[in-house]
Amino acid sequence: MKLGRFSLFGLLAAVFLLTTLVVSAQDVVTIEWWTVNSEEFDEQVQRDLVEQFNAEHPDIQVNMTLLPASGFDERMTTTLGAGQGAPDVAFFWINNWLPQALDIEPYLEADPDLGPENYFENFWNTRAVWNDTVVGLPLGVGANFVIYNKDVFDAAGVEYPTADWTTEDYNALASQLADEETRTWGGDRPRGPYRAIWYNYGAKVYSDDSTTVDGYLNSPESVASYTWLWDLVNSGATPTPADLEILGTEGTGPIDLFIAGRLAMATLNQGHMLNLIDEGINFGIVPEPAAPGSELRHANAWSLTASIWKGTEHPQEAYEWLSYWAGPEGQQFLMENGNLIPSMPDVLATYENADTEYAQAFFEVLELPQVAQWDNAHPCKGSVMSAVSDAWDLVNLGEIERDEVQATLDSLVPVGQAALDECLTRLGG
Amino acid sequence: MRLSKDLGEISAAQYEARRKSQRANTWITVRRLMGYSSAYILMTAIALVFMIPLLWMFSTSLKTRADIFAWPPSWLPDVPMWENYVAAFTSYPLARFMLNSTILVVLNTIGELVSVPLIAYGFARLRFPFKKVLFLLMLSTMMIPGQIKLIPLYSMYSRLGLIDTYVPLFLPSFFGNPFFIFLMVQYIRTIPRDLDEAARIDGAGTWTILYRIILPLCKPALTVMIVFTFLWVWNDFLQPLIYLNDFNSYPISVGLAFFQGRYSVEWNMFMAATLVSILPVLVLYFFAQKHLIGGISALGLKG
Amino acid sequence: MLATWRNMNPLARREAAEGYISLLPWAIGFLVFTVMPVGASIVLGFTRWNIVEPPVWIGLDNYVRMFTADPMFWQALKVTGLFVLISLPLKLVLGLGLALLLNLKLPGMNFFRTVFYIPAVISGVAVSLMWMWLLQPDTGVVNTILYYMGIEGPGWFWDRNWALPSVALMSIWKVGGSAIIYLAGLQNIPAHLYEAAEIDGASRWRRFWRITLPLLTPTLFFQLVIELIDSFKIFTEAFVITQGGPLRSTYFYLLYFYETAFQNFNMGYASALAIVLMVIILSATVFVNYTSKRWVYYEAE
Repeated sequence: MKLGRFSLFGLLAAVFLLTTLVVSAQDVVTIEWWTVNSEEFDEQVQRDLVEQFNAEHPDIQVNMTLLPASGFDERMTTTLGAGQGAPDVAFFWINNWLPQALDIEPYLEADPDLGPENYFENFWNTRAVWNDTVVGLPLGVGANFVIYNKDVFDAAGVEYPTADWTTEDYNALASQLADEETRTWGGDRPRGPYRAIWYNYGAKVYSDDSTTVDGYLNSPESVASYTWLWDLVNSGATPTPADLEILGTEGTGPIDLFIAGRLAMATLNQGHMLNLIDEGINFGIVPEPAAPGSELRHANAWSLTASIWKGTEHPQEAYEWLSYWAGPEGQQFLMENGNLIPSMPDVLATYENADTEYAQAFFEVLELPQVAQWDNAHPCKGSVMSAVSDAWDLVNLGEIERDEVQATLDSLVPVGQAALDECLTRLGG
Repeated sequence: MRLSKDLGEISAAQYEARRKSQRANTWITVRRLMGYSSAYILMTAIALVFMIPLLWMFSTSLKTRADIFAWPPSWLPDVPMWENYVAAFTSYPLARFMLNSTILVVLNTIGELVSVPLIAYGFARLRFPFKKVLFLLMLSTMMIPGQIKLIPLYSMYSRLGLIDTYVPLFLPSFFGNPFFIFLMVQYIRTIPRDLDEAARIDGAGTWTILYRIILPLCKPALTVMIVFTFLWVWNDFLQPLIYLNDFNSYPISVGLAFFQGRYSVEWNMFMAATLVSILPVLVLYFFAQKHLIGGISALGLKG
Repeated sequence: MLATWRNMNPLARREAAEGYISLLPWAIGFLVFTVMPVGASIVLGFTRWNIVEPPVWIGLDNYVRMFTADPMFWQALKVTGLFVLISLPLKLVLGLGLALLLNLKLPGMNFFRTVFYIPAVISGVAVSLMWMWLLQPDTGVVNTILYYMGIEGPGWFWDRNWALPSVALMSIWKVGGSAIIYLAGLQNIPAHLYEAAEIDGASRWRRFWRITLPLLTPTLFFQLVIELIDSFKIFTEAFVITQGGPLRSTYFYLLYFYETAFQNFNMGYASALAIVLMVIILSATVFVNYTSKRWVYYEAE
């Protein structure tokens, strides 16, 4: 009996010990996190952030996978398509991935420290909310704006542009600043239609209810936007597509040409702005110009949607990391140690260069209505734009006359409509 | 052009034979010299054209960021920025990445050497039903765009727990690359069958013939295989990107991509890193050449 | 198959068995690495699949749309076909020419062979930037040289009539890679044939046509098939530099496939596109293979 009780005790102790061992082994949850190395996400800063988080959360181990920015999309698409091996937490910066993002609303509601009110409202609306669900947290902010080289302006004796300028002012300034001898151009040309300037003209590629191309692609507003581009192209004050592609960088903006002092005005972004500070360039910032006689002004702005994969086995722990990474702690850390411009007003308020002229001008751009508002609600925009890209090419190559813009757009209506119809069927109406 | 082509078919020993059959020795020497110099002039001209990009990359790698696109462009920067090379190597573990690539090259080369000669010999020499259909089937695997296979293959490797290992990056080579199989088949088919038959009469079996008679004669084709395997594995970006997670296991192709940011490329550093990264490929080729030139034509001379 | 087998004598049967054994590694690899994923693509070709949600079966709709209602498909096919016609013969001839040059047994040849190999070695973004820089219409090296020769250079990548030839030029520049294969093939031509021809007093030109070329036909056949496949699959150059433009003059088939699959997330349609491409290349290869009986000479047979 004694022995029996003893052995029973022993058995219980053993079971207890084993359970604690198993439980404690299970207690540490590994979260796979994929990120990139880029201007605002420096490799070492991100490693330090993970280390800090892991130290503060002994029960969660975040495992960082660093991918090159140029290959991140292929990798994510492949894993999401295979339905396995996708990361618990990552950037879901392509809208087509979002059906695979976890709805984090329940976790947000249970979280006393974090909510939509902590983020810039327009970025929350365009990047966190999708199809009426909360698919992630907007991490960092970015925007396009016109950067001008003050030294080039001063040398030419031309006044700096102001925030209330128009597209006509842009062309006039560009012409004044262009200098054939030093091969300096006045200003670059937009990188595609139906972005900030087209929206400032009130031009849309198709109707708001996604049914009609006729009367939109070829509307007076569209014609006016393309005609403005035509004027700019034919003024000779803007680099040719050849120059832009060679001297620019990978389609995001002619930063290298600007640094070389051969472009007085360029539509660039906050990442480029930081490059310019590093290079010691004397520059100023204004929003993209409005249409003549119009107050309407848009910004091509973005934030990166940081999300949890639907297939994760540890949604709670994944949320812990997500809300740290894209929450106040992470964004503060990434701002202070790296180059991130945070998407949270309270964090941005502590930005060390917040008082500088360029930072103030940049913050004003962030307040503007965004191109993404319309674009996010219209997933067929890309397909239709690609179908009607001839108009863009023809104007840019200088292959049509000024009065042929209308006819060219008219002629593209049928292919645009066909692309829209096909896209709608594909997306299921 | 014509003269140089002629020279293409003349080697020292042939030349000797020709000496005996012709009388005008001095005339030959003159022609030879003319042939030599015209060949050199032609090749130097072409080589210069082929070298321009490399020189340009080199000059870019030595410039500051503001100088790269300055006008007028300069071939030689005033102050060469050799520190770009140091910076490129300290910002990422490029040496480590190159070592990883080398490991992958070795694994793939072993795989190809094991599989390709065997398969190619079967297609080239042995007679069996449905050979032509199977051969076309093999060729057809090269005709499908690789990207379409990404998702199903990722799914398969993931189920097998092989993500974040080198297995998906070298395993296929052990089952033969159609390009090399085809290359080898064509090569073996030009080797006279008399050699096989003679060995068979001496009592050699099929596999002995393959490994003792045929393979040693395939040195040039095997060299091409190794050179190309090196090149392709070295430059392959998509596969390692898809299958690897661990930063320290990345090959150089993926490592180079880190110089491209989301908004800009650091061209000077990128060019510096690219230049250093292609050196091993060129060095290998430089030394592999002596195995490329030779083979049957040399054999024929002795016989 | 069984009937054939039964009609074979034991020796032939043994040879066939050895043949199948030698093919075994390939067969396994084929089943695992090709049949499975390509089979999946064939099935997906009958679906609408946006990659992140389950596919929907739509029967032949993808193929019907492709052949009846998709101008992009025809444009991509036209551009790709044109590219094959331009680049294929040039690559074959220039590759051979370069190989003959490199086959000279002269001092210093190792250096030249390595230089000509360089273009095949550098890949990706560095090359594309370099080419754009070389072919820039106003300031590029090529047009500057042409200017001094009194020729007004074209717009290259930025001219709808010149973009396709420019891409072809880029791929021809890499000919040093295929020259290596010719070089290997040249090594297989027995020297005694030349010696005999020489004694007979055959001219060098005649020897090239009568000995070099016929004995090189197996290599030529290989190059023809490989370059055919490669040309149809032209992608990277256009993807990095022209993005299909200007005015879709370089909108190659694989570019359209890639955009459909990975930018528009229309993987069902992309799978159908891939299958059609495979059928097209396969037909071309079967045709080349059929004609090969007339012009490819194997010494062994």
